[in-house]
Amino acid sequence: MYLNDFEYFAPQTSAEALSLAARLGSKAKILAGGTDLLIMMKEKILKPECLININDIQEFKTISYVPGQGAVIGAAVKISALEHDSLIKDKYFALHQAAGELGSAQVRAMATVGGNSCHASPAAETPPPLAALGARVVICSSAGEKEMPVEKFILGNRKTALGEGELLTKFILPEPAPRSASRYAYIGLRDAMEIDAVNMAVNLVLEEDCRTVKNLKLVMGSVSPVPLVAEKIPGILIGKELTDELLAQAAQAACDEAKPISDIRASAEYRREMVAVLTRRVLKQAFHAAAGLKEA
Amino acid sequence: MKQLIELEINGRIYEIPVSPKDLLVDVVRKKVGLTGTKKGCGQGDCGACTVLLDGEPVLSCITLAIACQGKKITTIEGLVAEDGTLHPIQQSFVEHGAVQCGFCTPGMILSSKALLDKNQQPTELEIKRGIAGNICRCTGYKRIVEAIKAAGDTLASGEVK
Repeated sequence: MYLNDFEYFAPQTSAEALSLAARLGSKAKILAGGTDLLIMMKEKILKPECLININDIQEFKTISYVPGQGAVIGAAVKISALEHDSLIKDKYFALHQAAGELGSAQVRAMATVGGNSCHASPAAETPPPLAALGARVVICSSAGEKEMPVEKFILGNRKTALGEGELLTKFILPEPAPRSASRYAYIGLRDAMEIDAVNMAVNLVLEEDCRTVKNLKLVMGSVSPVPLVAEKIPGILIGKELTDELLAQAAQAACDEAKPISDIRASAEYRREMVAVLTRRVLKQAFHAAAGLKEA
Repeated sequence: MKQLIELEINGRIYEIPVSPKDLLVDVVRKKVGLTGTKKGCGQGDCGACTVLLDGEPVLSCITLAIACQGKKITTIEGLVAEDGTLHPIQQSFVEHGAVQCGFCTPGMILSSKALLDKNQQPTELEIKRGIAGNICRCTGYKRIVEAIKAAGDTLASGEVK
């Protein structure tokens, strides 16, 4: 349970971090919270020659918000900071919920939102709500920066679009639409320190009548190697009022699109059933919240 | 390659030679000699190694010591007053029989402190969430939860400083 020897760098600015990342390339891993990285190093899955600790870089640690434009969340923002930030709770509720369900108090105090996406675990908590809320990641290198949606950034189990010398520096979240609400839900074998068997987030927008669905994005986690955006549900629900029949259709569509596997935490059959349960649950909850009704 | 770093532990500055790969739990226990912090699973699951870093509970078995420079580290030894008086949370654990084998206790108390520092009168659910990352094999948690609740009440009433 010991770590390999490595050279340690603690850049103080993003420019310094990018130049280190460019110079060290694949020899270096980025140390954010360390709750996944150091464990993989202890298990000898990874043996990086260098670690670049990005936790001293102030601009990576801030959450900012401009009314009408949205929020910017630095990659090294702690999960506990997301959980307790009143703006995130107010504007991006599903992300607040997911942050509060990640790991333990200790893990949340250490782990970062950037690390949760970069580690690219299919069961990760925050990528589904980030994707549902329309978040884009900003990837920087010494050559410049580019943006892409979270669901395009995560390419597979432990695989991301990050190239050599590139850093995920922040997430950009659009301003929530009027009459919109987001919700997150999960199924796990217990509450404490579990890894989700299925998780799901939805962001739902209603028309001015507060009944008709105007738009929605539902994203499933832990039932595919990547955060899976439900393709057919918008076609089923947009322009309609939410009825039990339509909810059942939406749940069936999500089940059909999910690609669960059987593993130590749940069977594929169980996961598929739970996709239906969670789809109905998050849609109902988001609908009630967006309509300003008391949640059922 | 060892290098000399400064760590502030329980209000005292220690100059310690470390390698980048040295974990905080090992440095605290072996180099500083504060063995109250326990090493359990070594993978961040059990919570026995919990210490406070700038008041936040962290897992010292997956924290690099070198990354803790400039931060305030609190271990269980830092809770006892200079005259040996136990911290109200420690006292409450004793009074409620919340300690059996004791291996989880330092981490459990530090997680409790992190919780009570933010919220002196947590609900039972908030207490359970606060210690969800600390595994106890002996007590069944009931007395631990009671001890934390009582400690919170004591702290809130201001009976003890």
